[in-house]
Amino acid sequence: MSVQRTLHLGLMFWATGTHAAGWRHPDARADAAYDIRLIQEVSQAAERAKLDFVFLGDRLATDPALQHSNPAQISRLEPFTTAAAIAAATSHVGIVVTANPTYSDPYSIARLLASLDHLDGGRTAWNLVTGADAAAALNFGRDAHWDTGKRYDWAEETLRVVRALWDNAPGPDGRGGRPIHHRGTYFSVDGPLDVGAPPQGQVVLLSAGTSDRSRDLGAREADMVFAGPQPTLAARREFYADIKARAARYGRADQVTVLPGLTPVVAPTTEEAVARYDELNSLLVLAPEEEVGELVRAGGIGEGYRLSRTSASRLFGVDLRGCDLTAQVPAETLAAVSEEGRRRLAEITRLTRRTATGPHRITYGDLVYATPTQLSHTVVGDPYEVADMIQEWFEERLADGFNIYPSSVPGSVTDFVDLVVPELQRRGLFRKDYQGTTLREHLGLAVPPRRSA
Amino acid sequence: MTGDAGLAIGYELQGAGLTGPPGVLVATARAAEAAGVDYLVFPDRPATATDSAGPPAAAVVAPWIAAQTSRIGLVTTGSTAYHEPYHLARMVASLDHVSAGRAGWQVVTGPDDLADANHRREGVDPAAHREARAAEFVGVVRDLWDSWEDGAFVPDKASGRFIDGSRIHAIDHAGPALRVRGPLNVARPPQGHPVVFASAADAPVASTADVLTVGDPESGDAGRPRVLAVVPFVGRTGAHAAELHARAGAPRSDHERAVVVGDPDEVVGQLSSWAGSVTGLTLRFRDPSQVAVFTDEVLPRLRRVRPDGAGTLRDRLGLPRAANRLAVQTATAVERS
Repeated sequence: MSVQRTLHLGLMFWATGTHAAGWRHPDARADAAYDIRLIQEVSQAAERAKLDFVFLGDRLATDPALQHSNPAQISRLEPFTTAAAIAAATSHVGIVVTANPTYSDPYSIARLLASLDHLDGGRTAWNLVTGADAAAALNFGRDAHWDTGKRYDWAEETLRVVRALWDNAPGPDGRGGRPIHHRGTYFSVDGPLDVGAPPQGQVVLLSAGTSDRSRDLGAREADMVFAGPQPTLAARREFYADIKARAARYGRADQVTVLPGLTPVVAPTTEEAVARYDELNSLLVLAPEEEVGELVRAGGIGEGYRLSRTSASRLFGVDLRGCDLTAQVPAETLAAVSEEGRRRLAEITRLTRRTATGPHRITYGDLVYATPTQLSHTVVGDPYEVADMIQEWFEERLADGFNIYPSSVPGSVTDFVDLVVPELQRRGLFRKDYQGTTLREHLGLAVPPRRSA
Repeated sequence: MTGDAGLAIGYELQGAGLTGPPGVLVATARAAEAAGVDYLVFPDRPATATDSAGPPAAAVVAPWIAAQTSRIGLVTTGSTAYHEPYHLARMVASLDHVSAGRAGWQVVTGPDDLADANHRREGVDPAAHREARAAEFVGVVRDLWDSWEDGAFVPDKASGRFIDGSRIHAIDHAGPALRVRGPLNVARPPQGHPVVFASAADAPVASTADVLTVGDPESGDAGRPRVLAVVPFVGRTGAHAAELHARAGAPRSDHERAVVVGDPDEVVGQLSSWAGSVTGLTLRFRDPSQVAVFTDEVLPRLRRVRPDGAGTLRDRLGLPRAANRLAVQTATAVERS
């Protein structure tokens, strides 16, 4: 293998931050969701740090009940609108927009993405999601949420049509558009596209998911595959290796970048980083105890338990009701926790450095805050510790890079780009400057040849 | 009719040299803003009859221009036939947020055989339910804009209250052509409702628009705000104007637009005579060089609705901020109880 692997880094933008209480942190802007100037500034910070992309997630429904457990899922500016405003304020950083084919049609998706790729000069990527979220169906005239098979069949045909429209769109001279006359299972699309072919030829494609269908789609079609949080090292290793093996079978092993999500809680010292992590958790709002035990949707990105003492009691298998969150938990209580509880205790120690019997003891709050399912792997530490973890995963082939989930906006973005990125650059792991202006160039991917319809 | 009535002035950017390449579009938009134009209209057609590339989609261009201007209104075109109301509502609402209240939506309904042929999918034939869909669409979009009351987005760090759920409403729309539960996932737009423009001749949507576009100052519902679509040919002299007009194929006024031909004095006189009859004029230029001539020679001499050019697009058109239809119902219900 002659090609040097290089680390890739993106910035996942949820205006609330990815910690459920991130928006309440003193360094956060609580109203970031509607402050386009701030969103542009965050994107410019990502660009100064030479990141590959800024990522705009989306969800096609809302649920006010998520305000304390997952406020990022409640409300945001529409992604293409946001992306266009970011495009106007940046020149190099890639821009990932989420578009869900389940509730759209291929011509519209091809057209919006090609338009954006023109305005940002070849920096667009499409995060193809099929929508695990049943609530969205009711906003689009459907009685029922389609099952996974139908959503993937629909998405696959959408992708074929979108790619054909781009391949047969007018070329760089603005001429030569050709009809595609697609007649498929779900779509009938004549073409040609009325917008010129994207400067990248094919807009960069991202996908995610752990099912067989999603892994296959990612390995066959995607340029970047996002890896969700995996409970164990073995699961992380399996996912990475499986995507690469599948991609190799399609003859594109070098063309798929696997990017897990990563929430870095970083500060100049370990002690300060742990204090920051504790501060974030202390800002969480617990659910009323009478609503105990109900599973609540975390909004299309996994399910979690309600954040409450009772939910924590159930998960850890010990009675935590009425506990003082700041008090230390007796060692005998910790010794009695469930098997899942023991796994969470190890997580707590990894994140907080607190243990059952050492000088810094695990608190009741640690148990309660560790109950909800995490959106991404979290690392707490000083810049060297965070860079060590990134380097280890990269070198151990658990990741080709990371989609960075800042816990607060803009504070955690600033922390990562100011503290961690320079250390990664110093180690020669991450680029010191862009080598090109398009996202394909950042990823080391050529513009694919045009295929006739 | 009052003698001191002013006009709002919009420029529709369509045709060679006005929309591409992107740098030209930005320059055109900024020049229009600097000259005090009230709004830009971005046409949009998801189809082409030729093998040539048209401008990027209006839904992406408008926010891109919004980010590079600060005062001018931005009217994006969107068809009821090829959008889902949920998507359309959030795109226009988002444009209003990123532009601080400068957004408008020109609603069109077709028919358009070429665009229909690009958008057929399982269960959806745009040609089949065009009128029924159009008849419901604008009302659904307005309800979605109202589904978050003003003040529903709280984010108060001290209390931990992110939103006020009692001010966020499902719309539960279930009509013959459209079903949308809501609420929207975007907070209420700064203008309440971005300004909805429709052609007075577009029957399914004309009654639902804030502003009607007419081709004749005496046509359309005179009780409602109307803007006149104008195709100008401004020459150095009357003869020069006639030559420009002839060179463009001598288009005539019809029910869709008024064609105005003359030297700057004549054009100013003609346009000014319509102040008081209509709220404003949307200029549809046939030739990029006409933009500069109109901007330099005619625009400064027209009396305006908002000479200071301040405020939202609604302010520039003399329209009040839209009341919240869903919040009003809630208030009524409370009063009754």
